[in-house]
Amino acid sequence: MASASPSLDARSEALKDSFPLLIPAVPFGFVLGVTISESVVPDGIGVLTSWTIFAGAAQLAFLTLAGTASLGAAIAAALVINARHVMYSAAIAPVFEPQPRWFRWLAPSVLIDQVFALAMQRADADPTWFRRYYLWVGAQFFLVWQTVTLLGLFFGSVIPEEIQIGFAPAVMFAGLVILGITNRPGVVAAFVGAVVCLATLSLPNRVGLLIGAACGVVAGSIAEALQQRRVLAEAER
Amino acid sequence: MSTSTALIAVIGVGLATYAMRAGLILALADTELPTWLLRALRYVAPSVLAALVVTLVADPDAANRGVSLAEVVGLLVTAGVVIKTRNLAVTLAVGMAAFWAVLALG
Repeated sequence: MASASPSLDARSEALKDSFPLLIPAVPFGFVLGVTISESVVPDGIGVLTSWTIFAGAAQLAFLTLAGTASLGAAIAAALVINARHVMYSAAIAPVFEPQPRWFRWLAPSVLIDQVFALAMQRADADPTWFRRYYLWVGAQFFLVWQTVTLLGLFFGSVIPEEIQIGFAPAVMFAGLVILGITNRPGVVAAFVGAVVCLATLSLPNRVGLLIGAACGVVAGSIAEALQQRRVLAEAER
Repeated sequence: MSTSTALIAVIGVGLATYAMRAGLILALADTELPTWLLRALRYVAPSVLAALVVTLVADPDAANRGVSLAEVVGLLVTAGVVIKTRNLAVTLAVGMAAFWAVLALG
């Protein structure tokens, strides 16, 4: 992995590894741009979400909810969706121990799902090499994201009404739910989240979304605890 | 919504997101999160995203109240395609195509 010209290597490895993960980001960013053009949030501020929040699902939730729910509900939903980043931060922290201070401050701003996944695979690399690799991966995702957001915004304003492009975020989220489920407790969490949200839909300010999410998290946690207990009990037998 | 309110909200959510990403990296390594918290964080994404789909599709305040046949078919096809392909780009294309097909027929 580390060769005679580590800097070149880190860059080309970063480009090569990111490519398959960048492809799905393109339609996602495009849907986001279209959503910005449809949202009650002014276009410029919608585009700003790609710079400040830089997390597709949270941005999409914020923009779609800002129209129908209260601003508070939109903010709460975006923050809850982004809470998973605490887990990434915890998992990747040891890798940053040999890194300089400026990099520890800069790196988290691009710590999205894909960057986390790629960086963790290089956790044992030489620190200088790792830094270059991480920055190239992060910069690429950031650049592509900004570009496709703008493209979506531009094309979104010329898409005719009859097409009902407003359904695209729901498709995107439904896909993300299933991609994010890695075990049985994950199925339980999603199911409980959806059912509780449906039951509490008439409550004001979309508070049902947060109640559903909270119940889903508790249900998923309980399901995982039960699963582990069963595994332990079987091991003892 | 006023521009300044939206601007403050977007910057605020951005700062909070940065704080969640940076917090434990800046605090450095030794802080281990309790097991229950790590476990709970694993299930945040599936539950909140599933609830979001429900909110978006069955929005009680939307102009076209209720869930249409096209939406149900679109979501079922979406689920099928993403399970089969694990590919979000393909899923988006096929899910929307199914939705449009039912819209055109109905």
